[in-house]
Amino acid sequence: MRRLDEKLIPVLLSTPVAVLILCLLWIVVSIGGEGIQALNWSLLTSSVLEGGIFESMVGTLYMLGGAVALATPLGVATAVYLVEYAAESRLNHLIIQAVNNLAGVPSIIFGLFGYAFFCRFLGLGVSLLSGWLTLVCMILPIIVSGSVEAISMVPTSFREAALALGAPKWRVVKDVVLPAAAPGLATSVILGVGRVAGETAAILFTSSVYLMRGLPSTVLEPVMTLTYHLFVLLVATPGGMTGKPFAMALLLLGLVVSLNVLAYIIRVYYRRRW
Amino acid sequence: MEETLKSFDFLKSLRRMDWVKLILMTIASLSIVIVLLIALFTISESIPAFSSLGLDLLLGDRWAPYYGRYGAAPLVYGSLIVVFGAVLIAVPLGVLSAISLAEYMPRKLGEVVKPMIELLAAIPSIIYGFLGMVFIAPAITKLFGISLGRTALTGSIVLSMMITPTIVSISSEVISSVPREYRMAAIALGATKWQVIRGVVIPTALPGIAASILLAFGRAVGETVAVLMSCGCVAKIPSPPWNLLDPVHTLTAAIALDMGEVAMGSMHYHVLFGLGVILFVITFSVNTAAWLLMRRAPRRLIKV
Amino acid sequence: MDPKIEVRELNVWYGNHHVLKDLSIKIPERRVLAIIGPSGCGKSTLLMTLNRMIELVEGARVEGRCLLDGVDIYNPGIPLTELRRRVGMVFQKPNPLPKSIYENVAYGPKVHGVKDRRKLDEIVENCLKVVGLWDEVKDRLNKSAFELSVGQQQRLCIARALAVKPEVLLMDEPCSALDPMNTRIIEKLICSLGRELTVVVVTHNIQQAARVSDFTAFIYLGRLVEYGPTDRLFESPVNRLTRDYISGEFG
Repeated sequence: MRRLDEKLIPVLLSTPVAVLILCLLWIVVSIGGEGIQALNWSLLTSSVLEGGIFESMVGTLYMLGGAVALATPLGVATAVYLVEYAAESRLNHLIIQAVNNLAGVPSIIFGLFGYAFFCRFLGLGVSLLSGWLTLVCMILPIIVSGSVEAISMVPTSFREAALALGAPKWRVVKDVVLPAAAPGLATSVILGVGRVAGETAAILFTSSVYLMRGLPSTVLEPVMTLTYHLFVLLVATPGGMTGKPFAMALLLLGLVVSLNVLAYIIRVYYRRRW
Repeated sequence: MEETLKSFDFLKSLRRMDWVKLILMTIASLSIVIVLLIALFTISESIPAFSSLGLDLLLGDRWAPYYGRYGAAPLVYGSLIVVFGAVLIAVPLGVLSAISLAEYMPRKLGEVVKPMIELLAAIPSIIYGFLGMVFIAPAITKLFGISLGRTALTGSIVLSMMITPTIVSISSEVISSVPREYRMAAIALGATKWQVIRGVVIPTALPGIAASILLAFGRAVGETVAVLMSCGCVAKIPSPPWNLLDPVHTLTAAIALDMGEVAMGSMHYHVLFGLGVILFVITFSVNTAAWLLMRRAPRRLIKV
Repeated sequence: MDPKIEVRELNVWYGNHHVLKDLSIKIPERRVLAIIGPSGCGKSTLLMTLNRMIELVEGARVEGRCLLDGVDIYNPGIPLTELRRRVGMVFQKPNPLPKSIYENVAYGPKVHGVKDRRKLDEIVENCLKVVGLWDEVKDRLNKSAFELSVGQQQRLCIARALAVKPEVLLMDEPCSALDPMNTRIIEKLICSLGRELTVVVVTHNIQQAARVSDFTAFIYLGRLVEYGPTDRLFESPVNRLTRDYISGEFG
């Protein structure tokens, strides 16, 4: 009985793990199988108006670039403040609580807020800029908590060494702490990018349109993105289940999966350097 | 002499004032400002709806916005039943996987398997919606012999894949952090590994496991696109109410579908913000509860 | 001769824990002072008060005066960066920065405004020569400092401290992590440095104190028990506690 216990239970318990891994494989295979057939050069390079996806692909990159460029300095600065500058203070606790709260806000609420505040109240309209700002609010907690972890892992002895040489605090942060934390910071930013790449709900009514001519020429124009384009294609177009949606889904999946794999590799490669 | 020295000191201290700290503090406070702005704008845009509809908005049983009927009860119910279904699937799957990962799997294997499971959570919701629509819904149609495959159950299945990783990753971490001494006592008494896990490890890790389930719940309630695409969007309480094979509509899906089409400043517009407030209250309380539970488990302060 | 550093009635608390009690000591210029005493007696704390690194310890509180060339370093007008340039520090565990060997030594001068590449090269070469590391590393200056052995790392840290031309060098048990050979090298180094600048070295190794220092201070339970020229203190200690400690009866 006892023997059986010890032999059977590990096997039984690994079944749910196997189920989850199979889910992942199923997703990759079912999207990839048809997607790879539908994916071709002319689909990628021809305009949306001609049945391609060029603008929505580039639009997604615009979205990513802007949101991450804005959120990274803000998130890293917040983390530096929390770890390096703020001792146990009330403000520190409030900020941590705010970050935790932000992390739990559903993306559709970011969408509602972005529409009410950025698009309407600030008068930015449905635009690339409104989308960026909305997404910044959304990925800020990801970057902050990842950066806090990365910066906390930097050994105290590095800081002591530089401080004892007479380096002012900001130089210690800039020359020693941030470079040492760089791989961890990169990981958190990459995860933020992944989140933005696949986001639909938050940009639904803040920055995206289904069809427009060409790419936005200013940040105050709306933009087409892969997620939104796919969303409308699937929801509003009956019988659109041929190749193109699969190709778009495969692109998204490939992007998000490779970003996460990259983050994983960085994390493993730089683990426990000191 | 003394005087000039003092004013010199003053100038010096002004110059040495920690501007860097001040700037960083301002940036860091931005998170607080964002939270407040979200609360302020979502709530203020919903006030007209709550003040003219009152509790009817929450309890009214008919959601037909184009006929001026704004009862959110079917949506709240829809959200909850889809999520409960998802949690019902995700809890055994997730908790058992977590035990397996933390206690039985060789470390090297676990280091590959866990990130793979976590990858499930990173896959965009639009892809889950796509899968729900294209693969799971037709399978449900065939399996149960019903005409429409987009049901509460379809949504639950899709959601369960999205939220199980949350349970796995947090629970397994909590289980691994159960101190060795706790186990030692039981092992010394001659308990088998499984007995130790059941009798000592799980009870100690329970608050953390519960927290992970709550976080998964919170994430599921807020999920929009995947649910919208897979559960049919029919704003009616199923009959009987526990019938998972009826289509349902959810808070998030209603916001996402209607927001693009409402007239700015109309009652419908304000009602959608009202739905946002209801949703926010649900996720906020669930997350707070999870956070309180989590503080009883031995983990670091800031980690979401 | 005026003392380089004069500590007057210094009291230090960590929270409620009173670590240093009414401690006064005059540290002479261009000499080596060894601070000895059993672990936990407050000798490292004393060291950290001399360049205000103690302020990094959470909950630490300092009272009393600490004069460097007659100026109180706890005066709010004192720029911390300049103080720490003048009063350098070497830690118990070698703590090279995660940079190249070259950058480790050049970092201090760079922070204090040296930009000229040739000048930096010169400083790096000189400092590495002083600690006897130049011949060992001159072909791999751009390699990470972590590739060095622990003993080499500690010498690199001393070179790094010397690169900003300090007037005082504080050393917190600099050899405790090292092998006998590197210990000997560093002890010799301390002796020769003592002719150029003021060295304060904390050690729990009594023989080491006898070998390297001109003066020795014995601290016990946060109080200065005895202080005097090393020869005198080791040959004829006045206080019974000192005698017992030196003869190895406790510690």
